[in-house]
Parts: sequence; C-alpha cells; structure tokens
Amino acid sequence: MTNEAEKPNIITSSLDFIVNWGRTNSLWPFPYGTACCAIEFMSTEVGRYDLSRIGSEYVRFTPRQSDVLLVSGTITYKQAPILKRIYEQMAEPRWVIAMGACACSGGFYDCYCTVPGIDHIIPVDVYMGGCPSRPEAFFDAMFDLQKKIKDESFMKQRAERVKEQLEMIKAKTEEAKKEARELAHEKIADFKDFVVEKEQQMAKKAQFWKD
Amino acid sequence: MIVLDPNGEKLNLMPLNVGPSHPATHGCLRFLAAMDGETIVASVEEIGYLHRGFEKMVERGTWQQVVPYTDRLNYCSAIMNNIAYCRAVEQMFGVEIPERTKVLRVIVNELSRINDHFVCVAAAFQDLGGTTPFMYAFNPREEIMCIWEKLTGARLTNSFSRIGGLYRDSYNGFEEDVLNACKSTEKALSDLHACLDRNRIFLDRTVGIGKISKEKAISYGWTGPCLRATGVASDLRKDEPYYDYETYDWEVVVGTQGDCNDRLQVRLAEIEESVKIVRQALKRLAPGPVDIVDPRIRVPAHKMAYQDMEGLIGRFKSVYEGIRVPEGEHYCGSECANGELGFSIFSDGSGHPWRIKVRPPCFTQFAAFHELVEGAQLADSMAVLSGLNIIAGELDR
Amino acid sequence: MDLAENIFPILEERFAAKRELKDKWGLTVVVSKTYLHPVVEFLKNEAPVKMEMLVDIAGVDFLGYKDYEGPRFAVKYVFKSISQPGARMQLKVFVSEDDLTVPTISDLYGIANWQEREVYDQFGVVFKGHPDLRRILNHVEFVGHPLRKDYPAQKRQWLSTNDFMLPELEKRLETLGYKVIQRSKEVGTNDNEFLEGSIKG
Repeated sequence: MTNEAEKPNIITSSLDFIVNWGRTNSLWPFPYGTACCAIEFMSTEVGRYDLSRIGSEYVRFTPRQSDVLLVSGTITYKQAPILKRIYEQMAEPRWVIAMGACACSGGFYDCYCTVPGIDHIIPVDVYMGGCPSRPEAFFDAMFDLQKKIKDESFMKQRAERVKEQLEMIKAKTEEAKKEARELAHEKIADFKDFVVEKEQQMAKKAQFWKD
Repeated sequence: MIVLDPNGEKLNLMPLNVGPSHPATHGCLRFLAAMDGETIVASVEEIGYLHRGFEKMVERGTWQQVVPYTDRLNYCSAIMNNIAYCRAVEQMFGVEIPERTKVLRVIVNELSRINDHFVCVAAAFQDLGGTTPFMYAFNPREEIMCIWEKLTGARLTNSFSRIGGLYRDSYNGFEEDVLNACKSTEKALSDLHACLDRNRIFLDRTVGIGKISKEKAISYGWTGPCLRATGVASDLRKDEPYYDYETYDWEVVVGTQGDCNDRLQVRLAEIEESVKIVRQALKRLAPGPVDIVDPRIRVPAHKMAYQDMEGLIGRFKSVYEGIRVPEGEHYCGSECANGELGFSIFSDGSGHPWRIKVRPPCFTQFAAFHELVEGAQLADSMAVLSGLNIIAGELDR
Repeated sequence: MDLAENIFPILEERFAAKRELKDKWGLTVVVSKTYLHPVVEFLKNEAPVKMEMLVDIAGVDFLGYKDYEGPRFAVKYVFKSISQPGARMQLKVFVSEDDLTVPTISDLYGIANWQEREVYDQFGVVFKGHPDLRRILNHVEFVGHPLRKDYPAQKRQWLSTNDFMLPELEKRLETLGYKVIQRSKEVGTNDNEFLEGSIKG
C-alpha cells in the first residue's frame, strides 16, 4: 500500500500551458444578444446542445466578469457606441466572437442604419457564418477560439507588456529629464541675470564706498 | 434630481438607466426611470436599437424577396410572419390557395405559436430567477425546431411560405413528428403548471403587477394575448376568420385581471388551444397540390420549366422581373403570436413594392410600458417586461 | 361592404370625405387635413360602428410614382372596431411638401403618440400639437428622413455619442405633476468620469 503522498504528484509543465489550459476551459461569455442569433444562443445553452460541456455555461451579463464578448445580432448605428463601450469595459484577456452574418458583415441589411460588420468598431477574433448560426456552428467557433487561445503565450505577452512598460517608463523619464533640463536652463539663465545684477550692484556699492 | 411632488414635498430622485444591454431587456430596449428608493416614479422608454431598415430594404427588391425579411421581424415564430405577408399579397391578387396549403399553413402557424409562447414563458421565468421552467419549455421547442429543419431546412428563419403556396410539400412522416411534438408539448405544459401554479415566489412577483385596464389597453392599441389578458375576447382568427379557423373547435382564451400573471397564463392556455387545433388539422390533411398554378403569381415547378416553353418563360420572368401585384393600397392583419401583425401595402403595379409598412404588435405594447411600471418596484419592471414579450426585431423592424 | 354603406355616407355628408379608389379590398376614406381631428373624434365616439382602436399610422412618399399628380406625402390611419369585431376602415390624409403639417390625434388614442413620432422620424411630417415630437427609431444625430424616396438607402450616418434621455424624463415627471427644482448632473458617455474603472479611465 503506497500512501497518496508517496506517489509522484508533481507535474512539471510550462506556465504558458497551465495558464492557457485554464483559460480555454472556462471561457465566460458575455452574450451581447440583439436579434435572432440570441435566440439560437439560448437554444445552445439549454438541454439539447448544452454549452456547459465546454465550460462556458456561466453566462455573465457584466463586461467586468466575462472573457468572451459574444456579439449575436445586428448592430445598428444607434447601438454602436454602446457596444464599443462594453468592449472597453472588459478586462484583459478578452476575445470577441461575431455570431451570424449581421455581426460579421451586416448580412443582408445593407442599409442606412446597420453597421456593415462589427469589425468597424471593435477587433474580432472569430467570425461565424449563418443567418442565424446553428448551435453546432457556435461550438465550432468556440473550439476555434480555444485553439487560438492555446497558441497564445502568456509569458510572451507578459514579456511584451513589460517591455512596453519599460519603454514607456524610459520615454517618460526621458521626457521628465528633458523638462527638468529645460527648467534648469531657464533657472540658470535667471540666475545669471541675477548674478550680473548683483555684480553691478556690488560694483555700484564699491564705487559708492570708494567715493 | 430634486423635485417637488404634487403635494409640495421635496423628493430626491435618482435617474436610473436600464438597458439596452441588460439580461432582462431581451435584445435592445432601454428605459430611464426616476427612482424614489426602490419605487419607479416616472419612466421613459427608448427604442430603435435594432432598427434595421426593413421598410427601406424591401423597396429595393421584388415582392418575393420580402419573405426572408419578414422572417427576421419576430424571429421566435418566423413562419407566422411569412404567412401573414403572403396572405396580404394573396388578398391583393384575389386568389384562393389550395386546401392542402391552408391546412398546412394552419399547422405550421400553430406550431410556431407554441414555439413563440414557450420562449416568452421560459424567458419570463428565467428573468424572475427560475431556471427549471426554462429547461422544461425548451425541450418541446427543440422538437419543433427539428420538424422545421426537416420541413424547411432552417431552424429559426425558415422562409417557408411563398406567395401563392409553400416552398415545398411536407415530408414523409411529418404527421407522426407533429403528433410527437404535440405530446411532448403537453408534457412540458403539465410540468410548467406543476412548477408555477402554486409557486409562492412566482405568484407574489406576478399577481397584481403591471395591471392595465381594458380601456387603456385598447387605447394603446394592444392586441393578442396581452389584450386578451385584460378580458377582451378579441382574436382575429375568430373575428375575421381565415384559413377556416372558424371551423376548428377551439376557444379564445381570456384573462380577467390584465396583470403580469394573466399574460403568462393566457399564453400557456393558448398553447393548449394550439395543440387542439394542430390535432384537428392533422386529420384534415388530405393529399393535393400546395401551389396555385398561375405563372403570374407562383413560380412554375421545375418539371414544367424543363418540359414546357411556357413554364420556362414564366420561371424566367418571375425570377428576373418579379411578380406584379395589382396597383392599389391594402391593409391586411393576421393574428400572430404577439398580436395583430399587419402589412400596409402600397403597390404601383410594378415588380417592386412601393412601400410596405409593418404594423408590429410589440410596438403598441411597449408604448404603454411607462403606464405599467410607474408606481411599481424596479424588480417588478423586469416581470412586466418579460410578460409583454417584446421582440426587438419586430419592435424596431 | 356594409360598413361602407353605414359610415361612408355620413362622412361624405359631414366632412366632405372621398373614397380612395386605389383601395379595392376595403374602405379607405380621404379627408382633408382640417377635418382630420373631428373625423377621428366622430369615428371614435359617435359613429354607428365605433372605431375604438387605432391600429396603425403609415406614411408614404409618392415621389416618382408613375402617373401621379398631387401632394407628395400621404398619411394613412388604420382603425379597427372592438365592439363590432371585424369592422375596419382606413383614413388617408394628403400632405404637400410646402406644408408638412398634420393635426395630431395623440389626445384621442394613446398609441398615436409613438406612431406619429415614427412617421415624423421616417418622413419628416410634422404633427401639430404633438406633446413630444422627436425621433424614435433613428438616432439623435441623424440628418434627413430615411424613408423618403430621395434618401439614398446606403447613406450611413455614424453616431458619436449615446443619446440622452434626461430631458424627456423631466418632461414626463412634469406631466405627472412633479416639479423639477434641481437637475441631476449630466455625465456624457465620453467623459472620463463615466468610464472610470474601465481600461480607458
């Protein structure tokens, strides 16, 4: 009888793998449902198709808690600023799925009031065809997104971000230095004037005492 | 904002924005409420977040090309909209459709009504916090969706009806499938009733909430289940019968209070009536043609186009130029799941519609929303909203 | 057709109404603008078949209609009777381009408020006496009226901000008998304060 603790229970892995594994299997969607595709999304959620099989059943209606923005339905010009704001409110990492023809390209509403594809407003990771997309297509899109997430490197992203931040810090210090230098120059110039004035005064004083 | 109320007392109100992206607003509705604590003092609604330009788009195509656009009006019961539109145009032509088509249209009409009501009821309970009825209601719905797939090729936006006929005849085994769907619908209904009828939480949240009087409902132009919930027995299937609806044995369901609970119960009872109609219609389904034979209205069948010069010309002309609806203006309303879906059609006799104005049933119901929620709690507004069954695609077109 | 025999002669006699011959399937009556409000009032309260429900208001633009002479716009009202099921009739009012006004009937029917707003939004027909005439389907920054025939279908107009409903709320409060003393602070959607907590802020 081997004790549980005596078994080898350490798995070595890369941090990237473990982070991506976690991310792929708990994608919480934000269903930005406007039209017909939202009804199909409802069908995807319930019994027959069951979205929870891929760990996405936890539908969050707040952008702050969700990972995937699922734009299902037509986006009109009246709605565009709202969609944009919701995207901006989501925390990173975030992905966007355009569900259905309307979200991808405007569909057959080529008209004065519909945005011809949400990629005019926000970046899109996965496009899904269909009017509306079938639940199977939805699963396919989720798998595609999972594949995409698996290819992402958390460490690389972080390194890039650190690099970006470093550069930003560098640029900012450079700016600050430049400003300080300019200020100092001004001050020195002022000081010089001051010294010259003082010298003149001293000279005047000396002249006075001499007299 | 600080206001003086009618008695001259100072009140500090908070404007609160709900929607358009809100879990209970079913798409894109928005209202701004002035809140005194939890009570809504005043509310204004804003619509148009899904205005897709139906009425501009249809002016650019032919008459047949309108059919797919009508699908996306009320996407919970797409076939019904197709049929309503086709019926309006057929009336302008003054043609009678074959007997089999009538019966088939009645069957798909009622099945879509079941579908629509299930979505409404399921979503209402979901919004009130009950997940189980949602699952119960979607099982028969999926079964009906399977029938749609076999019959029309699509799950949701079917485009099944054509001017002067149907896209195709029913498939082998259609009757059994429909009967099975009826059975599971009845089972789901009994499950739903078991869940809800004596459910204290549900009754507390819906009974007496969002009441509206008969007169007000009529003044706001309410139709369909929402009007019937106030006690007016107005149903176009009985008042202006079409497709022999008057010969079937069924009742108009009427509520008493006009509150949120009544609206949902009327819907559930209507599902029962629809099942009754479907059962009777299946018995009447006799073999026969589904399309009228008139190349000016309905595209001739493939067989005719291949064997006959006339058929070829007819097919070419009707696809290339579109059918020519007689000049004139006509309004035709049909009883759809949410109420009267009307089409005001202006035709100049050419191959393109001059103007088609849709009369959406949701529009009138949402216009009265502030009357329903003023004085109620904020949480009640969600119950009211889901009881009205506002479909944004129909509301904004 | 009994409805036509019942109501139409009275309308013809009292309001100089004419029958619209284009409607071969039902009863459509053309009345002049000045008579619109009395006619609707008559139909609602006194007519032998009372029209309790206003079903629809549809605008139409006849620019470029073949062989058409007359005012460019028309507004069509669809009525339905509840007390006598199955009775329907339509009213039609012509509106010329020089004088784009029609008297409102929003004091008679609750739904007319929104229906008239829609016609105003899509065609630019102004309803005189309407309590709150503004756009309903299109956004606030929209220029022009999209369903007019001379509006290009693909002329798109972006919206830069979100529309604001506080003034309407104040109006609604005032109709309910409240009096606004101090307005709430307006926060625009592009303000930093509004986006506080989001990545932009």
